[in-house]
Amino acid sequence: MKLIKIKDQHMWIPFVFPGTLLLVLVLGFPAIQSILYSIYPEGGGSSYTFSNYSVLFKDSIFRQVFGNTALFVTLSVASHILLGLGVALILNKEIFAKPLFRLIALLPWVVPDVVAGIIWKWMYDPIYGALNDLLIKVGLISTHIPWLYNPRLALLSVVFVNLWRGFPFVMLILLAGLQSIPRVLYEAAAIDGASRWQLFSRITLPSLKKMFVVALALDIVWEVRRFGLIQAMTQGGPGTITEVLSTYIYKQYFQFFRFEYASAVSVIMTIALLMISLPYIWMISQEE
Amino acid sequence: MKWFRISSYVVLGMVVLIGFSTFVSAQEKVTLRFSDWHLTESPWDKTLADAMALFEKRNPNIKIALEPVSYKEKETKYTVELAAGKGPDIFHVHAFSLPMFFDKGFAMDLTAFIEKEGGAKFLEPWYPLCMNLMKHKGKVRAMPGDYMSMVLVYNTELFKAAGLDPKKLKTWEEFLEYNKKLTKAPERWGIALPGAKDPGFELRFSPFVWSFGGDYLTKDYKKSALDSKEAKEAFTFFIELYTKHKVMPPGVTSMNPQDVRTQLAHRKIAWEIGSGWTAPIVNAINPELKAFDVLDAVPLPVKKNKVTTIWLSSWVMSPNTKHPKEAWELMKFITSKEMELNWFVKNRVTSSRKDVSEKAPEILNDKFASVIASQLPYGKVVPQIPQWPEIVDTFTTAVQEAMTEMKPPEKALADAHERINGILARKK
Repeated sequence: MKLIKIKDQHMWIPFVFPGTLLLVLVLGFPAIQSILYSIYPEGGGSSYTFSNYSVLFKDSIFRQVFGNTALFVTLSVASHILLGLGVALILNKEIFAKPLFRLIALLPWVVPDVVAGIIWKWMYDPIYGALNDLLIKVGLISTHIPWLYNPRLALLSVVFVNLWRGFPFVMLILLAGLQSIPRVLYEAAAIDGASRWQLFSRITLPSLKKMFVVALALDIVWEVRRFGLIQAMTQGGPGTITEVLSTYIYKQYFQFFRFEYASAVSVIMTIALLMISLPYIWMISQEE
Repeated sequence: MKWFRISSYVVLGMVVLIGFSTFVSAQEKVTLRFSDWHLTESPWDKTLADAMALFEKRNPNIKIALEPVSYKEKETKYTVELAAGKGPDIFHVHAFSLPMFFDKGFAMDLTAFIEKEGGAKFLEPWYPLCMNLMKHKGKVRAMPGDYMSMVLVYNTELFKAAGLDPKKLKTWEEFLEYNKKLTKAPERWGIALPGAKDPGFELRFSPFVWSFGGDYLTKDYKKSALDSKEAKEAFTFFIELYTKHKVMPPGVTSMNPQDVRTQLAHRKIAWEIGSGWTAPIVNAINPELKAFDVLDAVPLPVKKNKVTTIWLSSWVMSPNTKHPKEAWELMKFITSKEMELNWFVKNRVTSSRKDVSEKAPEILNDKFASVIASQLPYGKVVPQIPQWPEIVDTFTTAVQEAMTEMKPPEKALADAHERINGILARKK
């Protein structure tokens, strides 16, 4: 039997091939299937059409959902960055029981989306919820607040839970960045008489620039895809005030059986995500 | 040594033989996947488990694998599995989900099985309305299950304390006055109705719109009928129970039927729109209430029409089942006269079989079932069209927008009316 001899420069092929094949099957095939579904006419038919796309761009609910998603992502990511940076700065200092506080800071992140949504839905309950009870006892409010049922508060209430759950991820990235900043920079600046604000704005922030891009890109992608938390807490209600792209696609596909339309919305969502991730991809390719 | 060697070979041979026969019998035994949301509810879970054990005893070659699924997610789960060529062999859904399943080819044609059982004669025991809803293009693709009408289930103690007799209730206006007297917020409210986007919503809201003389859609199902004076009046009346008269507890827009039953179980509300399943579930939530003694039922009030919503469940065989004969045996068992009576005795659900709901003394003498059965002639079903889930979602959005005062009721309803017309106008 003749043995197949692989040249050294081709040795990577048998190692990379199985993983690539798996990726193609698990990611590539459904993606292509989804794109094909999106150009089938709704209700069946053999010819391809872009009617699903023209329907969705004319749909006022889709436009509202897109706007809700943009608002949800903006508020979530901004709050993650701010709180994540604040906690990372504290945990970067020499404080008592630092490992314990790092662990505590990470805990919300290990709670699954749906579980966090269910827990907080009960905490927000206007009759039985612990939050209203606590706020009334400390005198901050006098009557129960319908957190998830007041249209002005519903989205903010969901964003708050998302902040609680999601900031550790950003904190970890920024903490890693903070720890890589050479201490000599701070010492030299301190000798030159720099104030704390100058140390922060002239050394810390510029040094964290790449980490911010990484955290921003990854967090935006994750928040656009956020589903379990919102579905568990509000299912997009009241009305459509907390409906985002992920819950909208879910509803169209699994509840209304509009496979073709849901696929079209998925494609739009994917294009939006690709455009958001471009700065991150460009940055990584520049480094290589 | 020789006898030791021989006896070792004999023992080894017996072990191999036993193992082989076990393997062979395991191969011969058919496993059927049975899925039902009731498996997540007490006391239904025990009832179903016991029934399946009985079926296995009567059919030793069949094993039943029980698969619970949440009430809300069952259509999603079944859709995904069936689209992938799998799915439970037998599963339980509302009748109003059937058009979607039929449309996508997700339900086995049962005609051949029924023909073998005697055809039309086999189907005689079932109510004709129920059997008609099981058909798609002339073929029977599901079997009917529970058949109930929606009624008011109330706490007799709370009504007695308020000096009210619900058996004298006639009109929706009196219903409002009763609720005002029963409401003592924040300890207790008159009534709660599900406002979440949940299949239980339309069961409870529909009597309002129909009784007021309106409807969701025109008779040909081609246009929305929510612009009629009657539909607007019904919608506004429903919304104002919450926004103006405040006889419903806060958070109602996120309540599903189980949340409402929990309120009833803990005396947070005095009554709710329910049916035969209410008392057993409330009893399981709070046994201290002694629901079977404390709760009672009366028909819904009337505006222009005496009408209520029909609840009908259905049993579907997966078109992908590898064991259709065995699955049919299970389906026959579940819908048999014996089991339909069992479902009533254990869980208080009346049957789509006339020979059970109209004849069984257990039903005729039960305080809940007698009221439920008496309202079946006034029952109406929601439109059985594939677009219905999207239409009811649009309508519930309008209810939530009006209840949370995002829009005035007239505007919310008008927007829903326009959107529903758009849904119906889509080419299919």
